[in-house]
Amino acid sequence: MLSRHADASFWIGRYVERAEATARMIDVHYHFGLESPLVGEAMRWSSILAISGQEELYHEKGYEEDERSILYFFAFDLENPSSIATCIRLARENGRSIRDQISSEMWKCLNRMYLQYQDWDLERVLSGSPFAFFETVKEGSQLFQGVANRTLMMGEARDFHDVGRFLERADQTARILDVKYHDLLPDFADHMAKHLAPYATSEAGSVGGPVDVHGWIAVLKSVGAFEAFRKTFHQGVTPSRVTQFLLLNPQFPASVRHSVGRVDTCLRRISGNRDVAPVNEAERQVGRLYNELNYMRGEDIITAGLHEFLEDVQDRCNKIGDAIYRTYLRF
Amino acid sequence: MNQEQNNSTPAGLFAGYDTGGFFDEMFESSGPRPHYARLARTLGSLTAEEFRARCQLADLTLVNQGITFTVYGDTKGVEKPFPVDLVPRVIPSDEWALVEKGLSQRVRALNLFLHDVYHDGKILRDGIVPRDLIVNAPNYRRSFVGADVPGDLYVHICGTDLIRDEKGTYRVLEDNCRTPSGVSYMLENRLILMRVFPSLFSENRVRPIDHYAAQLLHNLRDLAPHGREDPNVVLLTPGVYNSAYFEHSFLAQQMGIELVEGRDLFVDDNVVFMKTTRGPRRVDVIYRRIDDDFLDPLVFRSDSALGVAGLVNAHRAGNVALTNGIGTGVADDKSVYPYVPAMIRYYLDQEPILEQVPTYMGWKQDDLEYICDHAHELVIKATNESGGYGMLIGPQAARQELAEFVRNVRSNPRNYIGQPLISLSRSPCFFDSGFEGRHIDLRPYILCGRDDVTIVPGGLTRVALRKGSYVVNSSQGGGSKDTWVIAGELPVETTQTQTMGRMVQTQTSFAAPVGGEQ
Repeated sequence: MLSRHADASFWIGRYVERAEATARMIDVHYHFGLESPLVGEAMRWSSILAISGQEELYHEKGYEEDERSILYFFAFDLENPSSIATCIRLARENGRSIRDQISSEMWKCLNRMYLQYQDWDLERVLSGSPFAFFETVKEGSQLFQGVANRTLMMGEARDFHDVGRFLERADQTARILDVKYHDLLPDFADHMAKHLAPYATSEAGSVGGPVDVHGWIAVLKSVGAFEAFRKTFHQGVTPSRVTQFLLLNPQFPASVRHSVGRVDTCLRRISGNRDVAPVNEAERQVGRLYNELNYMRGEDIITAGLHEFLEDVQDRCNKIGDAIYRTYLRF
Repeated sequence: MNQEQNNSTPAGLFAGYDTGGFFDEMFESSGPRPHYARLARTLGSLTAEEFRARCQLADLTLVNQGITFTVYGDTKGVEKPFPVDLVPRVIPSDEWALVEKGLSQRVRALNLFLHDVYHDGKILRDGIVPRDLIVNAPNYRRSFVGADVPGDLYVHICGTDLIRDEKGTYRVLEDNCRTPSGVSYMLENRLILMRVFPSLFSENRVRPIDHYAAQLLHNLRDLAPHGREDPNVVLLTPGVYNSAYFEHSFLAQQMGIELVEGRDLFVDDNVVFMKTTRGPRRVDVIYRRIDDDFLDPLVFRSDSALGVAGLVNAHRAGNVALTNGIGTGVADDKSVYPYVPAMIRYYLDQEPILEQVPTYMGWKQDDLEYICDHAHELVIKATNESGGYGMLIGPQAARQELAEFVRNVRSNPRNYIGQPLISLSRSPCFFDSGFEGRHIDLRPYILCGRDDVTIVPGGLTRVALRKGSYVVNSSQGGGSKDTWVIAGELPVETTQTQTMGRMVQTQTSFAAPVGGEQ
């Protein structure tokens, strides 16, 4: 396969996944805010900015931290490299450049997603139900992934697409956890509790209190994990359980461990390597991270410091992307 | 079948259709032509509203598949589907047989001509074609004299534009021997029509065209140097921003070959490679959709970022085949066009089967005077422009426009030709209110293989959608139609259905017409 084609395939996977992740993130925050008068707007929106890593650009552009600006920035601003509009547009551009490599159903799906997206603007999102808007984006991404699964040959194009998709997913899950963890630190919750009396009791602000639980439920919902989590843990939502679930659960499709495992499998299928030892830098890095996740326990992470661990995962996802580029995609 | 005789005057949706005194493809004075009879009945029985609904379905299909062009801007550019008119153009089998024979003859002569002018130049020495005209032609590649190409074939894919005059006679308007485009629209139009009007295809015996890509791939593989087994054939595109990009990706997909850009290729030791995830892979045949000028910055335009440095030398060394060959532009030069009948007589010792359009050549003194004096009656064309650019339609031009164009001609006569305005045949097209006649042409795609010339039945019918316009190019407001070649005789259909449990197999067999064609 041409390196340029592999590159485009990889990025289609990443961009579609990223569009969905961004939509999920805003969606959940939006509804979290509606459900929970305990939390002010600023908290919701500042954490979204932190997750995306776009704080600097956002402030450079002189936007206020309010609902309108944040929604515009993440849904429609083409200068924001991870806005939904940018992701959908670039996924389609990449699709166009390898139309002959992907199935025509996939192209049609990308094209339609793009065209339908052009019908949306900020006014329509705000005047109608933002819920319908986020739903459209999520369903567009899911439809595309389903169509890809069903129609794309089990070959390199598909493997590179999946590598992109799962690498992005691992990264997004780690990111969302990192920022929410930061938001939901007990002292922050305490602060909220004090300022939001009389709604909040002192209990509401402590770890495991209502604000806290609510925040962690939002984290779960944003990665589509709430129901799966409930089925796995019957005892209730706690930070360490959520962390463990999203990082280490082998069966949940958006857990970091599962996602990294999928990247590992795809890379090995691409190289045809059946040996335990890696044959290139990309395999070495992915394999190493995957094995660490396989042998790790929830308490190990907490002991070592969750934030440090999550930063390390994000950093390594970057390095993996870089190694894949240097091994296969450079042209 | 008796109904067909009752169709003497246009009925239903065709009622009041005006042929406007032109040669109409569908209707003669007594009613629909026989090969259009069933179509006239079926389409005529629809209401305008029903027809509009089919048009919308067709548009939606085009938009969803991204068969669109961008109207303006990019970031939020409006994309529109290429206009397809849903009334097919029908060619009866006897007319097609003549066209097919004429085009095969023509493209054979053109290939012999190209081989000749890049080798011995016999036709020039014998004074049949003026030497000056050829060696000074802008697309004559002097550096290619003496170079041998596989099978001595230069033009592997030729798109020849045919028009029909007021009597319905087919005439060649021009040949496109460089990188003719539009074949994807021919194929897509068929798919659209089958989707929108499936019943038409069960009523008419339309000859299939979907083997085009397979035939093209077969021919391309045949060109592989050193008889390499399972050669690597690629399609070289200028990239996504090229207006024909859809076609490039469509063809690559249909043939199952890689669609490459210049930056995917490199040349090492006169061998072409592409950069893959598994390292360099050798390339044997390149179907290039890039003009000569941009092909290789070392040989042609050094500022070209689209091409591949060293490609031309690799080609000369016989390590990679190029389709079409380099330097074919000298054969479709508009000032060489008047000599094609002479080429046919010279190389093939045959009379040309297809008529041409009488042509006055700017470089001949008498002709030049005629062009300038009769500019208001002529179509004047720059010899090396295409796409409907650099062209003046005298009878439709304003006085000032005429004067300006004549000045251009005088200042560079070699660059211009003049032809009488042929009133192109018309075909009904659907507009919101009903059918109206519009001028059309026909571009069949001729494939020249090592063994044989193949033409898929039909081609691309282009339509000048603007009322009264003679310009069919898509860049100038043109659209297109599905083009049908009807098989020999009307089918005597016998259908047999076998039922086995839930499995149903339908077999359709046509009684073979005696001496009929496939």
